[in-house]
Amino acid sequence: MRLPPDFQFTQANLQDFVDCRRRFLLRHVRRLAWPAIESEPVIENEQLSEKGARFHRMAHQALIGMPFERLALMLNEPELAGWWTNFQSQALPEGRRYPELSLQATLQGYRLVAKVDLLLVTPEGRALVYDWKTSRRRTPRQYMAARLQTRVYPYLLTQAGAQFNAGQPFPPEVVEMIYWYAGFPDAPERFAYDDDRYRADEAYLDDLAGTILSLAEQDFGLTPDAGQCRYCVYRSLCDRGVQAGSLDDWDEAMGAPDESGGNLDFEQIAEIEF
Amino acid sequence: MFSFMGEITLSPPQAELARLPVESKIFLEGPDGSGKTTAGVARLLGLLERGVPGASILLLVPQRSLGQPYLHALRTASLPPGSPVALHTLSGLAQRMVELYWPLVAEAAGFAHPDMPPVFLTLETAQYYLARLVRPLFDEGFFASITLDRNRLYSQILDNLNKSAVVGFAHTQIGQRLVSAWGGEPGQARVYQDAQECASRFRQYCLEHNLLDFSLQVELFVRYLWPDEGCRGALLETYRHLIVENLEEDVPVTHDLLAEWLPHLDSCLLIYDQEAGYRSFLGADPRSAYRLKALCPQRVTFTGSFVTSPMVIALGECLGRALQTGSQAPASPPPGTSETSDSLPAYQAALSFEVQRFYPQMLDWVAGQVAQLVQDEGVPPEEIAILAPFLGDALRFSLANRLERYGIPARSHRPSRSLREQPPVQCLLTLTYLAHPGWALPALPTQFDLAYALMQSLEGMDLVRAQLLAEKALLRVDGQPRLLPFERVKADLQERVTYRLGERYEHLRQWLEGYAQAPAQELDHFLGRLFGEVLSQPGFGFHANLDAGEAAANLVESAQKFRRVAAVGLADLGKPVGQEYLEMVQDGVIAAQYLRSWRGEAQGAVLLAPAYTFLMSNRPVEVQFWLDVGSRSWYERLYQPLTQPHVLSRNWPEGKHWTDDDEYKTSQEALYRLALGLLARCRRRVYLGLSELGEQGYEQRGLLLRAFQRLLRAAPQEASGV
Ligand code: SF4
Repeated sequence: MRLPPDFQFTQANLQDFVDCRRRFLLRHVRRLAWPAIESEPVIENEQLSEKGARFHRMAHQALIGMPFERLALMLNEPELAGWWTNFQSQALPEGRRYPELSLQATLQGYRLVAKVDLLLVTPEGRALVYDWKTSRRRTPRQYMAARLQTRVYPYLLTQAGAQFNAGQPFPPEVVEMIYWYAGFPDAPERFAYDDDRYRADEAYLDDLAGTILSLAEQDFGLTPDAGQCRYCVYRSLCDRGVQAGSLDDWDEAMGAPDESGGNLDFEQIAEIEF
Repeated sequence: MFSFMGEITLSPPQAELARLPVESKIFLEGPDGSGKTTAGVARLLGLLERGVPGASILLLVPQRSLGQPYLHALRTASLPPGSPVALHTLSGLAQRMVELYWPLVAEAAGFAHPDMPPVFLTLETAQYYLARLVRPLFDEGFFASITLDRNRLYSQILDNLNKSAVVGFAHTQIGQRLVSAWGGEPGQARVYQDAQECASRFRQYCLEHNLLDFSLQVELFVRYLWPDEGCRGALLETYRHLIVENLEEDVPVTHDLLAEWLPHLDSCLLIYDQEAGYRSFLGADPRSAYRLKALCPQRVTFTGSFVTSPMVIALGECLGRALQTGSQAPASPPPGTSETSDSLPAYQAALSFEVQRFYPQMLDWVAGQVAQLVQDEGVPPEEIAILAPFLGDALRFSLANRLERYGIPARSHRPSRSLREQPPVQCLLTLTYLAHPGWALPALPTQFDLAYALMQSLEGMDLVRAQLLAEKALLRVDGQPRLLPFERVKADLQERVTYRLGERYEHLRQWLEGYAQAPAQELDHFLGRLFGEVLSQPGFGFHANLDAGEAAANLVESAQKFRRVAAVGLADLGKPVGQEYLEMVQDGVIAAQYLRSWRGEAQGAVLLAPAYTFLMSNRPVEVQFWLDVGSRSWYERLYQPLTQPHVLSRNWPEGKHWTDDDEYKTSQEALYRLALGLLARCRRRVYLGLSELGEQGYEQRGLLLRAFQRLLRAAPQEASGV
């Protein structure tokens, strides 16, 4: 498969490939705009997504040194205010902070990129990768463990983070991925990293990208898991249904979908903007 | 030394520039095509290879397309992992910083709600708000002496504000500057005062509602954020290395900013294209750019061209002289270079033309020549550009059709295609009226609109059946449009339409009626549902129709953006945002112009583009076709009664009157730069499409045509006139 000349791998497009090859083809290779509703209830999802984006921006502003009190004046919605209170009271470890940090490395001749919400390097040399989650449900750990994000971010930091460690790559053992849930501040999901995981991730990502490049167009088939299609804008194109599924019915076994309701969520936009 | 050097071929001066120590501040100048950008790319890759973190490098470009060669290199070169290089335009950087630092500066900048987030306006949403403010003023006699489409008046008012921001003068001085340079009939001074009043009211409205158009974003950045220690400190700390491409195409406030920024940087490379400045109508100012040369200790000049053949260079020299000689004697051949030993001009092989009587004949000739180039000479289609001063729908369609007959695909670069002109969008708008009967203007939709929508939306529906059905099915109940159930259509018509199509019609009708009975949703959500649940399902016209999907997506995106921005000012009017959007689309205020369909570099397709757009994409081709050579549009400014780009520049002396002579001189200069700029992006040959009668059927004898005539008269034998 020839990918578009400006294509770059991200956790989101790799996840799409894993979830449904056809979706990867339509969304990331053909870049097909297909404006169906992704999931219901559409207005609530949109509001949640906007609140998530605002929360991320405020977190960024706080991390570059804007006073919390000044930022708190901008809260005009109770759920966001609750998240903000939680954020304010979480005790981030001491250390150098790199909010909204972009990283890149080469994967099968293409760039693999990610934008992390916060990299925090402690005085003891630990490298903590934070991701703020603003979904209403806390996703089961085993689901998060299998997400591409959990593999791509620590891997990329180990690969491409030397600039933040006095020119030396971070040893995998010092890297940790932390999902911090704005609605569940006391129960962050933490994933330690080590050399075995790093090697496994390297082999896995390389293999995944290699598979994508080796497949012919007709091999990007529809997912056998039709449940995916209820939350996918291409369902009419694939003859996989009419109505968008409701996020309330989302199967827990599939984990929580991204908190953004959109076809291209703000995390993806951040990742692909360059 | 550099491993990437095997990946790009560099001339010795380019390699030398790339190898200069990391801590170098370089001003690089040279003509188009002399290899400056390649040197810039090599310098960038060299910095990365020498361990400079990508995130500490900022690539600043006047428009994003000019960053393409850098992006391409960053994607393809084998570079070490790390943080990516940033690419920004001034406005992109401004928007990003405003968004981040808003809480710190909003109050000082005069915004009424500093605790609410800013709302960034696009060109069309800015135009929308401006239209709302200005429309009532027309009744008060504003612009009474002007006959021009209102949307063009709005865009000129915004343009004035943008000029004030990028040139760096207070927006309250717009009128006064225009008036003081005006020496014609006195009524025009009133027009300029009206334009000032509109600009001031708009600015005030923006401040009251946290709205940021382009001009306010730039002003906020330049006047409040850059002087702010926190914001400036963050920029200075983040970006230690700067590469600025096409410095001459950028605006004076960018140059001011750079002048303050340069002393703090570890390195910089400023790239300046001599004889360019194509974007002066947007505020680009080569003279302002050139002062930065004095701030760079290392100054490098490239000469010659890596792009054009010696014949094209010779053509450029001769044409340049012919343009400069105006109506004087025929251009004499240049000393030495431009004449071959047997007295044939050296540019002979670089120029082909044929004079036709009528415009369509000329287009036939162009298509025939393209076919010959592609099919007989093996020129790849993407190496051919067909250029005209303007590229209207009719011309684009005629050319694409003719090329298609030869089996040659074409793509068009036309940044002003309005979404509502697209059939799938027209269909969606018609169906929107039917689903929101209260929103429809009295006569909408018409029977024709409905027939057209049925043809688009129901698979297998032809125009004849659609018209027959529309004639009977479109009802007006209390003045509101309604659709008749299929079962109530007369039996003979049902039969004629067929039951299969009737079923589809009925499915669509019921869906619309069901929707209309429930509380109305946001317009973009409605459109998304209509598209996903009906029109793109099997049996309907958008199913697997990728073009329709794209057009619908553009409309949905436009409506969504509008909702997010316009809701701010509509809350007190009690009018649904969707209804307002539809009215603005009908009015042409919202044109929903989208770039998505011609983003990217289509391989294997001939490019159809307006000349300036091609120029600013800065991508040379083997062969160019120039159409409408006799047209005055190659150099004449558009009629802009509310603005004047030259007078609003920094170079215009205060109080000096703009005269016809100034107008003529600037037109000539613009044409000279444009023609030579195009030739600098042509490797091998230019074809002139000449017709005695232009597209509108009139004879045309503009300056460019006359220059070619002079040039050809001077030649002993006409170049490749066929
Ligand atoms: S509708 Fe289903 S099969 Fe089609 S792309 Fe989406 S997830 Fe894949």
